[in-house]
Amino acid sequence: MTMLMTAPELVESWARMTAKATTPAARTVNAVKIHGRGNTSVRALDGVSVELEQNRFTAIMGPSGSGKSTLMHCLAGLDTLSSGQVYVGDKELGTLSERALTKLRRDRLGFIFQAYNLLPTLTAAENITLPLALAGRSADPLWLELVIDVVGLGDRLSHRPSELSGGEQLRVAAARALVSRPEIIFADEPTGSLDSRAGGSLLNFLRRAVDDFGQTIVMVTHDPVAASFADRIVFLADGRIVDEMFEPSVGRAVEHMKYLGG
Amino acid sequence: MARLVRAALTRTGRLIGIALAVTLAVSLVSGTFILTDTIASAFQAATASSTSTSDIVVRATAGFTAQANSLPEREPLPESLLATVAAVPGIQAMWATVQGYAAMTDKSGKVIAPDGLPTVGTSWAPGDILDVGRAPHRGEVAIDLTTARRYHLHVGDNIRILFQGGAQNFTIAGVLRRTVDIVAATKAIFDPNTATQWLGQKGEVDAIAVRAQPSATPATLRARINAILPSRFEAVTARQVADEAAQSWTKSLGFLTPGLLLLAGVALIVGALLIGNTFSILVGQRTRELGLLRALGASPGQLRRLVLAEATAVGISASLAGVAIGLGAAHGMLALVRGVGLSIPTSSVVFRIHSAVAGVVCGVAATTVAAFLPARRATLVSPVAALNGSATRSERARAARIGPGAVTTLAGATMLAAGSTHALPTLVATGVGVAGVLIGLALLLPVLAGPVAYAIGAPLVRLFGQPAALARQNAMRNPRRTAATAAALMIGIGLVGVIAIVTASMKASATAAVRQTLRADLVVMTSGTPGSSGGLPPSVADRLRHTPEVGLVSEIRAGQWGLGGATETLLAIDPATVTDMHEVDAASMAAVHQLDDTGVLVRDTVAEHHRWKIGDLVPMTFARTGTRRLPIRGLFSTMAVRTDYVISLKAFAVNYAQPLILAVDVKLAKGVTPGLAEANVRRAMSDLPVAKVMDRSQLLASQQAQIDKYLSPVAALLGLAVLIGLLGIANALALSIHERTRELGLLRAVGMARTQLRAMIRCEAVIIAGFGSLAGLGLALGFGWASVSAVHDLGVTELVVPVGQLAMLVAAATAAGLLAAIVPARRAANLQVLDAIRDSH
Repeated sequence: MTMLMTAPELVESWARMTAKATTPAARTVNAVKIHGRGNTSVRALDGVSVELEQNRFTAIMGPSGSGKSTLMHCLAGLDTLSSGQVYVGDKELGTLSERALTKLRRDRLGFIFQAYNLLPTLTAAENITLPLALAGRSADPLWLELVIDVVGLGDRLSHRPSELSGGEQLRVAAARALVSRPEIIFADEPTGSLDSRAGGSLLNFLRRAVDDFGQTIVMVTHDPVAASFADRIVFLADGRIVDEMFEPSVGRAVEHMKYLGG
Repeated sequence: MARLVRAALTRTGRLIGIALAVTLAVSLVSGTFILTDTIASAFQAATASSTSTSDIVVRATAGFTAQANSLPEREPLPESLLATVAAVPGIQAMWATVQGYAAMTDKSGKVIAPDGLPTVGTSWAPGDILDVGRAPHRGEVAIDLTTARRYHLHVGDNIRILFQGGAQNFTIAGVLRRTVDIVAATKAIFDPNTATQWLGQKGEVDAIAVRAQPSATPATLRARINAILPSRFEAVTARQVADEAAQSWTKSLGFLTPGLLLLAGVALIVGALLIGNTFSILVGQRTRELGLLRALGASPGQLRRLVLAEATAVGISASLAGVAIGLGAAHGMLALVRGVGLSIPTSSVVFRIHSAVAGVVCGVAATTVAAFLPARRATLVSPVAALNGSATRSERARAARIGPGAVTTLAGATMLAAGSTHALPTLVATGVGVAGVLIGLALLLPVLAGPVAYAIGAPLVRLFGQPAALARQNAMRNPRRTAATAAALMIGIGLVGVIAIVTASMKASATAAVRQTLRADLVVMTSGTPGSSGGLPPSVADRLRHTPEVGLVSEIRAGQWGLGGATETLLAIDPATVTDMHEVDAASMAAVHQLDDTGVLVRDTVAEHHRWKIGDLVPMTFARTGTRRLPIRGLFSTMAVRTDYVISLKAFAVNYAQPLILAVDVKLAKGVTPGLAEANVRRAMSDLPVAKVMDRSQLLASQQAQIDKYLSPVAALLGLAVLIGLLGIANALALSIHERTRELGLLRAVGMARTQLRAMIRCEAVIIAGFGSLAGLGLALGFGWASVSAVHDLGVTELVVPVGQLAMLVAAATAAGLLAAIVPARRAANLQVLDAIRDSH
């Protein structure tokens, strides 16, 4: 596929290339993931090599079945590759034991899922500090306060998930992802179940996390509006990276998706 | 509909837990029926085989009907009666029989006393058929085939045989072809003179056996003999004698069936709780699926039938498995029953179709009834439920339950109290009380679940941190489910606890009785199980009197008598010495001093019941002397041995021919060295193997062993209820894990290690088990107190709570929660994180 790039995009692209001196937060090298066996096997990832920069908000877009979720799961150590490598920092995940992967997720990664983000038995505050509690650590109180403040949950902290709105629940999940200062936060269709207002407020929060706290975020979405909050969009189709876009706008993202048949 | 049910059954993995519970309970039900049939058929077989030697038996009439579980005592016959009977035409052969206690020893000199059955010695009967050897002469013995085989005894061997009055060596002259009698464990047969010498009294025989000529039927011969017999004697067919024996033994085991069925019922109830809980969890989990069915046009009735059909299918298959296991259970129960010392003639296990039917009916009924409420809840699922994916509903315990729950529990407890103090009819009050307490607890348990789980979880949280905290939250999130899961364990622990309390209380009461009221230094009793040897020979008391170190001897005898058709027992004491041996209260002491050789003493509560006062005449029917009216000389509340009626030894000698002594109390002479004196007393008894000399501590130990022997099998069977309770925890946890798959996936994704996940499941199991155990402990304390109070009049005067034992029980059951967690924890830990997150039920 040929790339049709505007001049500013080319500049941007070049800038990205030169910034490569720093280690990417995560990367894959020729990642292949095959689901199933024999005739029914599906190549969910078909040789994906991608680098996800630090302190950036990257969106992975693609139609359903494009392999975007699989890519994220593999990057996050939730799934393993059939061949190829995944690195978080300089750690190759394929070499890690289940125990080490768990520790990696707990200490270095954060997650925001589409739904089932929270434990119904814990209060919002307890949910936020859960990964720290599992690691036997306590939260840095100043940081915790700041995160809660940014998420805007101050008065809802003692509520249980069932007493929170969908948007609030996701913000709690976001705060939880942020509180342990992970190297990367992975977000899987975070706004999928939200109305546009609540979705917007969550995306603004993610944006701020990157801009104000230097957080690295990788978000899987098929929503061009959500993707437009990112610094960079990686487009996937049929398990391959087919395109990418820097400093996207909603309109351009929509265009691209249309082009991909999404 | 059938298709729906089949679809539902593909989930049977989740139902394995309840299937196991039903299987266990049903195996108890079927096992009980199989056991009962086995016992009945064993006695029938034994009866059928024991009628061959003679046609007619001449014996003394029984003065009154015997107690349900024993044959009536009969007087011996004068030897002169032989000549009288011999004059009757139609007799082919006749012989006198003498029967008594005779215990063989094996080659190492140990007494052969298998199964606690009587060991019998009799006189040689012409009808006895030998397998090898010949009929015994003086100094010889013929023994039964079973004993000969089991203890490798052969013709020509020399064995020592113990009698009530001593022991003698015999040479085995023959081995009987027939094995053993229905009522005997071992049988030694002697020539008539030896038999009379050791087993009977000179000039007396126990019965006369008659064989009819072929020309005379047993019935006509019986009529002829009866026509010439004096009034105190009767001729009956040998068949009737055997039937009576079989009936008596079957009756003596009559308590077994209801007792075992009661235990099976407990297991069924616990199982039903578990089933109800499981189905309500399943219905809750399948809300979405049921909603979809409703949306697609299923009627509420169809949903109800779907759940019920599923329950019934599980019930049927689990019950069938239970029946199969019941065969094994029957073997186990037979062993338990024998272990308690109840005698059952050996026989193979009998399986009749009704054992299977009863098991399946009970199992299916319990499953279906238990699933009824959940099935009703399934009908309440609205079609909309399919659309909003609320897979789990967390239910909160309503505080509104506290009031009614507490009131019902208290009312139940009050009824129990009223029953145990006899303020109300015991049985009714106890039944209503138990029901009240259980219903009250059922209401209260969900309310208690939260706080108790919180408290139990506290030390776990301190030890294991976050996983334990999550486990505690899980246990508290659905108090009704936690309560329902714990309830099954509660009942099991409660009942085992009650047995522990009753056992401890009985032991303590026995101890207190010996420590506080026994003044005798030594007690001489019969060795072996009571009834197998009858008692001590009268020579024991005389020998003790002639032992120099003995200061005072007081013997106690026991006998049966009839009161208006019912059988009563009495004790015969020596009024002059009995209070030196046993401390009694002042009023009872005064009564003993009033006892002469013509009157009777009556327990005060019994006298009150009959509205008797001092001076009234009690119509007492004795086997030997017929009905006599004895004046009441006094009323007592405490006596040496528990009894309701007391007469003097002289009065006993007049009314009873049976010379055996129940026990002899001994006080050592002043100034003798106790240890030395005791050794001398033992030496004086050394040739009387039936006489067991016990000091206070030995007496205590033997009483305690007796209590253990009867109650520990009950506790063992109730342990099954505990097992089912634990199974319930495992089942509920497995279901919860299934329903919380996504949550577990989330936990794993945000960094919970497998070990932490396992720890969490284990902690939850321990918290639920701990809750059930603690509630069970409460139940045990309440019911234990009520049970002990209820048997206060039977001599259980002390209420003892075996704190250590109960604490162990609770701790063990709580820790057993870990066992219950093994499978669920493994399943949870093996969840693939990604599958769990993606899982969409």
